[in-house]
Amino acid sequence: MLKPAATRAQPTTEAEERAVFRGVALPWAFLLPSLLILAVFVYLPALQTLRLAAYRANVILGTERFVGLANFTELLLSPAYRQVALQTLVFTVLTVSLGLLSALGLAWLASRPIRGANTYRLLLIYPYALSPAIAGTLWLFLFNPEIGVVNQILGSLFDVRPRWLDTPSLAFGLVTLAAIWKGLAYNIVFYLASIQNLPGDVMEAAEIDGASGAQVFWRVAFPLLTPITFFLVFTNIIAALFDSFALTDILTKGGPYTGNAGATTFLVYQLYQDGFVNFKTGAAAAQAALMLALVAFITWMQFRVGERQVHYGA
Amino acid sequence: MVNVKTILLTLALTGTATAQTTVEFWHSFGDAKRTGWIQARADEFNKANPGIKVVPSYKGSYNDSLQATILAARQNKAPALVQIFEVGSQLALDSGAFQPVSGIKAVDFSDYIKPVINYYTIGGKVNSLPFNSSSPVLYFNQELMKKAGLNPKTPPTTYSGLLKACQKIEAAKLGATCFGMSLNGWFVEQWMAQQGASLLNNGNGRQGRATATNLDSAAAKNIFSFFKTLQANKAFTYTGKLEDWDGSDAIFTNQKTVFHITSTADIGNIRDAAKTSGFTVGVGVLPIADGTKRNGVVIGGASLWVSKSVSKAQAEGALDFALYMTNTKNMADWHKLTGYYPVRQSSIELLRKQGWFTQSPLQLVAFNQLTKTVPSPATAGGLNGAAIQTRKIIEEGIQKVLAGQSVDAAMQETKARADAALNEYNANFK
Amino acid sequence: MARELRGGAVGVGQVGAGRGRGRHGRVWVTHLALIVAILIISAPLLFALIKSTQISSDVLSPKLLPGGAFFDNLSGVWVDAKLGRYMFNSTVLAVSVTVGKTILSLLAALAFVYFRFPLKGLAFTLVLLSLMLPTEVLIIALFDLVSQDLKWADTYAAIIVPFLASATGTFLFRQHFMNIPTSLADAARIDGCGPLLYLTRILIPMSWNTIGALAVIQFVYAWDQYIWPLVILQNDDKQVVQVGLRRLIEVGGQTDWGAVMAGAIVTMIPPLIVFTALQKQFSRGFALTEDK
Repeated sequence: MLKPAATRAQPTTEAEERAVFRGVALPWAFLLPSLLILAVFVYLPALQTLRLAAYRANVILGTERFVGLANFTELLLSPAYRQVALQTLVFTVLTVSLGLLSALGLAWLASRPIRGANTYRLLLIYPYALSPAIAGTLWLFLFNPEIGVVNQILGSLFDVRPRWLDTPSLAFGLVTLAAIWKGLAYNIVFYLASIQNLPGDVMEAAEIDGASGAQVFWRVAFPLLTPITFFLVFTNIIAALFDSFALTDILTKGGPYTGNAGATTFLVYQLYQDGFVNFKTGAAAAQAALMLALVAFITWMQFRVGERQVHYGA
Repeated sequence: MVNVKTILLTLALTGTATAQTTVEFWHSFGDAKRTGWIQARADEFNKANPGIKVVPSYKGSYNDSLQATILAARQNKAPALVQIFEVGSQLALDSGAFQPVSGIKAVDFSDYIKPVINYYTIGGKVNSLPFNSSSPVLYFNQELMKKAGLNPKTPPTTYSGLLKACQKIEAAKLGATCFGMSLNGWFVEQWMAQQGASLLNNGNGRQGRATATNLDSAAAKNIFSFFKTLQANKAFTYTGKLEDWDGSDAIFTNQKTVFHITSTADIGNIRDAAKTSGFTVGVGVLPIADGTKRNGVVIGGASLWVSKSVSKAQAEGALDFALYMTNTKNMADWHKLTGYYPVRQSSIELLRKQGWFTQSPLQLVAFNQLTKTVPSPATAGGLNGAAIQTRKIIEEGIQKVLAGQSVDAAMQETKARADAALNEYNANFK
Repeated sequence: MARELRGGAVGVGQVGAGRGRGRHGRVWVTHLALIVAILIISAPLLFALIKSTQISSDVLSPKLLPGGAFFDNLSGVWVDAKLGRYMFNSTVLAVSVTVGKTILSLLAALAFVYFRFPLKGLAFTLVLLSLMLPTEVLIIALFDLVSQDLKWADTYAAIIVPFLASATGTFLFRQHFMNIPTSLADAARIDGCGPLLYLTRILIPMSWNTIGALAVIQFVYAWDQYIWPLVILQNDDKQVVQVGLRRLIEVGGQTDWGAVMAGAIVTMIPPLIVFTALQKQFSRGFALTEDK
């Protein structure tokens, strides 16, 4: 299973299979609070939402008409929805790969035996306390094309004032960058912890063998960090899919409109628009169901690939 | 006067009953200034009417609040009084969660300014009580105008006038763009109305459910072409984000644009911000398409709706409070505080008597624009249940023009998308 | 030599090349890279800090000089916008959710690691899958349930109870428990120690780092809650701080950005306190191994 700790590659199979305490009722009693809450507050509403996906429904009007799979076929045939799905894919790949690479790089640097390393580490991770909505607001201020600080500086230095929010590629890049920035602290924390727990003897042995810093990193440390990387890939995909909402809502409102949809409209933003702005409840429920299927697929992949590539135990 | 009536009514109602009637009032004003004003009116009202307790609370943006209301109504926990934005009017009506205020008890609506009450009158019934109302006007930077050799006393009133001014501004190399505004479908609705053109079919959606938009009309083409010319002349700027009111205001108040269009409700704020920024702001009528008479503006803002599922005492209490809050004196105060129009003729009279318009001449332009509006389906404003969505579609169409798409292609696509949204909404009633 | 190092290396937190090997010359590159990165990462926050001290009309201008209006801005949000009240409510929410999640996940992990029972795989999958169902997607159905069936609208329970189960927490504790040698549990059982006693006496004391780490994540998550409290809470007295902050922004074109920035700075403080207090556990908690 997910193993956020990169440690010695010791088999944990034995641990998986242990059954120290006896009893069938007892484990269920321990699980009951968690399962009960999940059943009532997650699965029950989820089933309700799936049911809604088969209806043309409007939450404000209170209307519901059974349409079978029509909501799904409409979505899959809609060029707008396909564009949104493609954009989400690109956004997710970019934020996850660039986000993890920069987090790993910074965590590695901050783990070097240098003066002030502790201060560096703290300064790198404290933006984690910032809520996504405020993060979006700050970026909006900074990147206002006419009066934002960024364009003031670019304008005086290079005489360029990019139109960040209505040039599709720039807006997309900006939102991606903001998402990477927002997730950086979280990723750095995990990498810092894992790097600090890398087996010192292996690292030292590599050095004695005369490996350069880069070699130690890529040949020794990086492979040992694979499990945590897989864990972070998974959590970052989920974050890119769902948590990007507050950021895009405040920074770009999903715009600028290009092709058949807004360039920074991602699946969850489209879902929010249809469900909570346009009140197309059925269509939104169908989108929720599709997203569910997508995440289920990613999880399945994670386990498949993960089991082959990394030793997770069982 | 309303107050006395209210007290009598309350006494009659509570003569025997001991229980206090609670009136929940959900609104969308989150700032301390306006929340405080509403709370103060509620406190006054509660003091004068011991049998009723009005409890105002902020429920998030207009959208959040509308949704929360409907969800609550389904649980029979609806607030008695809700502030709903104009664009959600048809949706609120269709939800069946509200009752027309004209059905609760006899109210004299003759004091309300015509274009305002017209907007909220549907099928002869006044559905909701007008509250915060505004319309768009032209704002201009007087100093920058002078620098470009323009006379701030005669600001442009038409598209061509504005474009001509833009050429002079471009030539003067002021380091500022000629014109900027927040891209909002509301302005397109205004410009259609000014030309006497309906945005929607079926009498602007007021004789029957709108089934198509008139976004392929000549009137609509004038508007799209205006933006095309602005784009071609590099005479327009905005933050790039749709419906970014604050961002566009900030561009203007930081002297990065000479002309700006936004709601009259911002007059006070923009005037103050201009003062700190070191320029004098002027206000003129909304520039309109050439070759048409000025038909007037459509009201924007929000109104007060009374829920259907509440008791008669609560409904009457809600309406009484709404009437109290929007009485002659309160609306005049509200206007001074916020810049929203006072929705009553008598409030305008009161303000005139108090000498308000000599103190704040900027507001006069706004008033005249409103009171000179010619009543028609076009100026009453378009009604459609998917208006939140169609408004955004229109904004996106204009954004495409600004990004370089041809007017015809953008209009065609916009109409197709907006009409599809209307059909999809109407399918709820099949 | 390697043998000696083994004991000390883990937890010392300093790995990599260069230790006493004459590569000091390149250390300044590391410093420079870190400083530049930190400046970029902190820029938006520094910006917020500066803006929170300016008077409102300056906030939207490109001015970058700090002003003296921080306390004016703050008193505006603290008193007029009732931010103090919301901060209290959010603290109640965040602390309850954090404590509840910790207890429930400890119990669940105990069941998953130390017992063999039928349908274990199914139960674990059910916990896992819940990660994919964010509240945003379920909100309409959830609203009906909580307000109509449970009649919890306007109570703290409505914003706390639905979030008490934690897939992340269960994973992390399960992972951590699996790295604790089985011999310990065997010995405990032979001594007649039941699972609950084993949990409180042995496992929890060995898990403070993981508990602390999880607490930080859960606290921040609960602190950032926005849309659910907004919809379900009708009584303003129980409202949370993110809603309070957003209400400062969404006022229809008259946003007092100085106040918003001051509010934003203030609402960052509780997560920062939790974060700083639990920083050690936070860093170690995710990487605990059998070495500890």
